[in-house]
Amino acid sequence: MSDEALLELCPLAALGALDGADLSAFAAESARNTTLRGELEAFERVVGQIGLASEPVAPAPVVRERVVSVARGASSGGTVPSSSDSGARPSSLRTAATWLSLAAALGIALGGLAWRGQRDEARREAARAKAEAFTLTALNRDLQGRLDATQRRLESAEGFRALVAHPSTRIAGLAGLPAAPGARGRVVWNSERREAVLFAAGLPPAPAGKAYEAWVIAGGAPVAAGLFGVADEGGAALHTLPRLDDVARAKTFAVTLEPQAGVKAPTGPMVLAGPAI
Amino acid sequence: MRASPSEGLLRRLTGGDATALAEFYDLYAGLVNGLALRILRNTAEAEDVVQEVFVQVWRQAERYDPTRGSAEAWLCTIARTRALDRLRRRAARREESADVAPASSAAPKTEEALAVRKALATLSADQRQALELAYYDGLTQTEIAERLGAPLGTIKTRIRTAMIRLRDVLGPAS
Repeated sequence: MSDEALLELCPLAALGALDGADLSAFAAESARNTTLRGELEAFERVVGQIGLASEPVAPAPVVRERVVSVARGASSGGTVPSSSDSGARPSSLRTAATWLSLAAALGIALGGLAWRGQRDEARREAARAKAEAFTLTALNRDLQGRLDATQRRLESAEGFRALVAHPSTRIAGLAGLPAAPGARGRVVWNSERREAVLFAAGLPPAPAGKAYEAWVIAGGAPVAAGLFGVADEGGAALHTLPRLDDVARAKTFAVTLEPQAGVKAPTGPMVLAGPAI
Repeated sequence: MRASPSEGLLRRLTGGDATALAEFYDLYAGLVNGLALRILRNTAEAEDVVQEVFVQVWRQAERYDPTRGSAEAWLCTIARTRALDRLRRRAARREESADVAPASSAAPKTEEALAVRKALATLSADQRQALELAYYDGLTQTEIAERLGAPLGTIKTRIRTAMIRLRDVLGPAS
């Protein structure tokens, strides 16, 4: 994957929305590419800001008591949860410290260089640990995502089997129109369940910036029923339509070529159409 | 970036000042709870997240890096991570949550919060929908494409365009 393509993934990576091959490529490269990490951090900053748009909702008072009690418990136990030691010192020590300050300054000067070296190494180590943690988290999410995708495919297959087995399910044939004369399609649909699955073949791949959009026509204006693409070879597509009220009284199913963001009413050429019989 | 009162409180927290935690909580518990509730839609779970977030802040205040954003945004990042972890665990157990419509108790008080809302309002409905599914539901790009019935490339473009727009509008100086 090119550097430019990886940089384009940064907004999605910052949101934790990458998966599949994109995630694997990004996780592998982000551990060693400082430009990529810089861009990722810029978008992580944006992700942090998005949460500020939420409406504040006061939690129950007991939550405050629990939180404060944790802090009080830590303080009373003498455990200061910070490495900082900047708390106030007794005044007698401050007086005594005055004549020691010169010697201390010398010690600080000598120790400064060593301390800076340790600090820089600690920062580098923290950066390495963060990159490794990102990679592990990303891979974990990827595996979980694949498991979820498999589960969804199984549920989809079971749902389709139930649709086909239902006594009221019908099959509508869709014919290729002049914009795609070699295309053909079928819609397996059920008016009682308001379910429909579209199979298409012979569709040319949608041009860049375009996608195929399914439509249900029930007498009135066509109702958008989802966008889909086709495989590069064979022009095959499988698209499950959303549960629409109009499916219950569908008269026609159709497919048009539209801008990839989709439209509310058809604007592009119709490539497939057929009566809902 | 203008220094907010929270950054002073975080410095006191780093020094182990327990009263600073109470002040910090009073300032931002509503924000954290509102965000957790928007993600989890479950009052009890959201309040658990609030507790976890502020205890984490108490223990790890020194991890806040002002060069990487405001303290409020850092807090939101922690809250979102913890809330999404719970959401995913719930999904793994296949539990349903009784939907709770988040009831607002107050408008956001900071200029940054208002700027974020204004910036989000400039996004198209499609961009905002895809972004919110990633941000609040923790869905991946493929899951969003499936949920919306849109091609994966379309979803990636919508989210990328939205995030670039937010970055350009909010900028490091907001």
